[in-house]
Order: sequence, then structure tokens, then C-alpha cells
Amino acid sequence: MTESFILAIDTSCDDTSAAVTSGRVVCSNVVASQTQLHKKYGGVFPTVAKQAHRENLEPVIRAALQKAKITWKDLAAIAVTQGPGLAPALEVGIEKAKELALEKNLPLIPVNHIEGHVLSSLALRPPRRSILATSSTEPQLPALAVVVSGGHTEFVLVKKIGEYEVLGKTVDDAAGEALDKFGRMIDLGYPAGPVIEQFAQQGDAQRYPFPLPMTTSGNANLSFSGLKTAARTFTEKMQADHTLTKQEVYDLCASFQYSVFRAITYKLNKLLPPLLLGQPLFGVWLGGGVAANNILRQTIRRTIRPYNLQLSVPYSKKLCIDNAAMIGVVAGYKLERGEVMRGAEIQSVERLPRFEV
Amino acid sequence: MKILSLVDSTHPKVLGATLTVLRSGGLIIFPTETTYGAGVDALNPAAVQKLLSYKARREGKPLSIAVRDLEMAEKYVEVNESARRVYERFLPGPVTVVSKSKGNVAPGVESEFGTLGVRIPDYPFVLELLAAFGGPITATSANQSGSKSPYSVQELLLDLSEKQKSQIDLIIDAGELPHNPPSTVIDTTLSTPVVFRQGDVEVMKPQKTTTLTSHSEQETKDIAKRLILKHWNDVKECGLVIGLNGSLGMGKTIFAKGVAEFLQIPRVVTSPTYTYLEEYPFERHGVTGKFYHVDAWKINSDAEMELLRFSDLPKPNQVVVVEWVSNVALYIKKLKTEQKFSYLEITFGGQDHERTLEIKE
Repeated sequence: MTESFILAIDTSCDDTSAAVTSGRVVCSNVVASQTQLHKKYGGVFPTVAKQAHRENLEPVIRAALQKAKITWKDLAAIAVTQGPGLAPALEVGIEKAKELALEKNLPLIPVNHIEGHVLSSLALRPPRRSILATSSTEPQLPALAVVVSGGHTEFVLVKKIGEYEVLGKTVDDAAGEALDKFGRMIDLGYPAGPVIEQFAQQGDAQRYPFPLPMTTSGNANLSFSGLKTAARTFTEKMQADHTLTKQEVYDLCASFQYSVFRAITYKLNKLLPPLLLGQPLFGVWLGGGVAANNILRQTIRRTIRPYNLQLSVPYSKKLCIDNAAMIGVVAGYKLERGEVMRGAEIQSVERLPRFEV
Repeated sequence: MKILSLVDSTHPKVLGATLTVLRSGGLIIFPTETTYGAGVDALNPAAVQKLLSYKARREGKPLSIAVRDLEMAEKYVEVNESARRVYERFLPGPVTVVSKSKGNVAPGVESEFGTLGVRIPDYPFVLELLAAFGGPITATSANQSGSKSPYSVQELLLDLSEKQKSQIDLIIDAGELPHNPPSTVIDTTLSTPVVFRQGDVEVMKPQKTTTLTSHSEQETKDIAKRLILKHWNDVKECGLVIGLNGSLGMGKTIFAKGVAEFLQIPRVVTSPTYTYLEEYPFERHGVTGKFYHVDAWKINSDAEMELLRFSDLPKPNQVVVVEWVSNVALYIKKLKTEQKFSYLEITFGGQDHERTLEIKE
């Protein structure tokens, strides 16, 4: 890919993010967390501020350009997350992107947030920072993407870049959400996912056998609500009986996390053999907030090894959470394919609160 | 910069010297069960400024405090039920508990959002020190921001500039510490109820209450479908809002799936906890409308409901299902006096495979 700088914007949910990318290379990736920002407005305030997105967006964009050491003149396009996400939050990013595209006379590239997570493991460090020459050869396809986050849990077949098929997804809670909610049951605060990962390292994953959900359904869809209910019943009984000890909390974290990840690998084992009969696969790509979890990475690596498949993960944990760099990576491919909006078309770009890759 | 060895000197001698330094606003480097920490009197503004300058490049990150016990912690933070259980289970130990600050520490210690992290280090010397000092000291790792955690004094000194070294008044050297990871941070400031306490706030005085029993997900969905059909005129005339209560895993999302099935929405309805709100267009019985699935699990203020533009949702031809409605009951109650819409509320109960649905209409 040629040197074409893209300014990417993501305001799909709680965080405000802007990044500068060139092809798959991430020149900067700035994320302002609203979880922190909102607390300012009244003690406990973990969410959605459209207001905060508005306040954050301009400084975040300026910081992204500065860190990438480029100016508006260097940009080839502006990219923005169009959905899925929270409507009032998405609109802030889209409005700003439209305004900037028109003002600076740049093409606009609307991007699907999930496609961002799907391609996040393709992102590359800026060349001068990597010790080894980063291989910028294009990935071999098809590949299987596994997106695991607080809002999404899905298996996506990447036939070509830009051509996807969702093979399975959660029918109720997302994996990250199940972890967060379980954490609340045993007083680990919010968000509890990272705490559970740390505590699980000191726990016995076999001590409490939680059920494996949706083993009977023939498809690759996932479900975590049954597991969540079982965990609630179980921990309520335990806590009614006595105050949980430290070790019990560690073991509960390890056991619950193991069950969530096992549900994912169980389905991987189900979908891979028939999938591999139909076509070759050249790798498994992991993305989404929970992709930062090392135990999930290990678990998936072990599962796909017998199929001779390698796991690719994003090069930094910041690329796992919601961020604009992954949106820029997707936009880089779209720019190459000429999938951009220009002039009057730009006004027609609207949020798509929930659309499929 | 003075270095005292905990290995060579006796505790009381080191303790005495450390107290003198802390009381005069000095900066100490001390061992804990995780890494070496940098400590100053957390109530002394000048000392805290010195520490912040030593740490460099903090970018607004808050410091934490180390205290002797829960009693001392309660002077500086509001310890809620959830936090109390964390203290009981994990402290002293490598866990930092974030709570709402009472504003009694020096500027720069608490976060700009009014929260404060508290730690009780599981290290006898530090506990003795805190007891003798009688107040909190800052508990941040001794490295400068962004550098790796120091497990020995030599390792730390290699990483520091001359200026930073000159800012340290006393180093308490306990040799090489076991390489335990930094403390786990548990944020207990979000007060989401895990178990809904019934009767906290009443959105409406019900005209009638019916209790139904469901033995399966299918039955819960069927109840949802029957309810929507029953209130179909309300949907068309003024919009229908259904509030759902009940603890985690009781079937609230299943109920929402039933509503979507009735409305013949082809898409899979999933939990909107993370995204707060999902929107699904529908066409049913000659009505073209929208189904909004809202989750208030992470919400506990009216302002957040306004940011979601919730007041735009209850309208003719729109169906709104709100999970964890007890979190926003006051808001909806107020909205009901300002806007005309039909409201019903369901509380889920029961255990194992049986669910009771208490429906207030």
C-alpha cells in the first residue's frame, strides 16, 4: 500500500478515539476513556456522554495528528465508525467527520466497527519503532476472525478483505459482559474482566464445574445467559452459607473464566472441521476487548494447534479495546478499493446502529 | 539521600528514622509485598507535590494511599457494602480498592473524579509504620511513570535521574523483593445492584397485579407476546414502556426476545448491557414502528437517561423494554407525569428452573 494518511474517528460507545494510519501502519492511536470522564459529573458516571464525546473529540483529533507528526495537508481521507454502537454517541463522530471532510475537501470513508475488530490483528507498528522489519506482506486468505468483547462475541469468516460471513455469534450476552456481570456477583467492582483475569491466575479452574452452554445446538452460535444464571445460583448459595474466602474468589474467577473461554473453544472445535473441508484456512485472528486476556489467547492457541492454524493477535492491548486505529486500518483497504464518499455524497452518510459485517 | 537496610538494622531504628522523614514532609522509598513504593504523608500538600514531581509525567493519574486498617480507610473514603467485602477478603494484600473520596487528602492524591484508591500492604514493616505514623501515606510504585516496576533498590536507582535521586530523602532497603505483580485494582464506585431490592421506588400505583409462573424460556417469551397483544392499542395510541426488574440471569433478556418475536423482528435480540440501547424496526398488524431495548444496568443518574435521549422513545407505534428499571425508576416516574405513554412493570423472581413474573399494569 502507498503512503496515504487517514484520520480515523471512533465514538461508538464509551470512549472517544482518533488515530492516524497509513495502510496498515498505525501512526497514532489516541483513546480518551469516558468511564473516567463521566465520574466528574456526579460521582458515579460511567457512560455515554454525548456531551463528553463533543468535548473530547477535538482535542483527541489534535493529539492524534500531533503524535503522528502530520498536518491536515498530509491527509488522504477521513474515516469514521458508522455503527454498530450507541446512536447518540455515533452521531457525534459522524457529524464531526462529515464537517471535517467537507471543510478540508477530503473523501469520507464510513467503517463498520466490527470490521475494525476483525482486522485489528493486521495493524502494524510504525516502522521506526519495530526492531525487526515488520512483514508487510498481505495476509493469506481466507482466515477466521474471532471477536470477543463486552458488546460482541462472534466468529467471522474473512473470505477477502471486505468480504465476510458471520458463522456464529452470541444470542444473548457477550463474553466480556458475562465476565463483568459475574464480577459484580462476587464484589469485584466494574469493569471486572481485568480483575478476574488477574485473580484467575491464582485460582483453580477445575474447582467449580460450571455448565458448558449450548452444546446441543448444531450451529456455531454462542450463549452465556445459562452460564450466568448457573453462576448466580451457585454463588448466591455459597454466599448465603458463608463469607467467601480469598481463595474461593480466586477459584471462582478461574473456574468461571475457564467456562466462558471453553464455550468459545468448544464452538471453534465444532465449526473448524466442516469449514476446513470447504476451503483452506490461513490463520485465526483474534480481536475485541477480551482479546487482551492472555489466558484466552493461550486457550485458543491450544485449540487451533491440531488444525495447524496460527493465532494472530493485535500488537498492542490498546488495539483490542474500542479504538480508532483499527477503523483506520479498515479504511486503508477501502481507500485502495476506491470505496469512498466524495462531495455531496458525504452528507448522506448516516449512523447504522446495528449492521452486519 | 540516605539508605537504611532493613536486613542489617533493627526495625525500631529504621522505623524511628522513617517517621522523622515522613513527619518533616520527606519522600521515602519503601518495600511492600508487590514492588518498592514511593511514599509521602498523603495529607501534606507540599510533600505530595514533591512526590508528583519525582514521579514525572503523571498525566493526571491519581495516586493511591496505604492505610493501617479499615478503620483508618474510612476516614478518607466512603466504604460501601461491596468495598467492605473486598476489604474483608483481600486486605491486607495486593489489592487496591477504589472508593468515593471524602476529600480529606492533599490535592493530587485522589483522582480528578473524586475517587481514591486505598491499599493495606501485606508487609509487617509498613503496617507497623502506618500504625506509628497514625495517618495515610501515598502508595505508588517507586519507578517514574511509564518505567517498569522495581523489585530491588539497585534496579530502581539505575532507572532514576540525578534530580530524582536528590528528591528522595530515605530509602528503606529490604533487598530483592519477590517478583509479585503490581496490585489488582478493584473499582467499587459503580453502585449497580446485583440483587434488586423490591419496593425501593414505585414508578406507578398498579391498578392490578398478576403473578404468572414460567417453567421455561419459551413460556417467558409467550407471556411477553400475550402482554404486547393485550396492550396493542396502547402501542398504537401512545407507545408502550415495559420496565423489568429482577437479578442477573432471571430471564429479562428472554422476555425482550419474546417481545421481538411478537413484533416479527428477524434479527437476534442480544443483551444491550454494553451499548445501553438497541433499536429494532418492526412491521406488525399494519403498524410500522420501532422496538427499543434498553439496559439500565450501568446507569444510575437521570442525566445519563437524557444523554440516551430516552424521553424521545415513548411515542405512538414504539415499544420500549427497560431492563434494570429500578435503577432509573425515579426518572421514568417523572417522565410519566410529563409525557403520555402506557407503562407496565414486571418483577422476575423464583429459583432453579421456575420463574415468577409479577406484572403490575
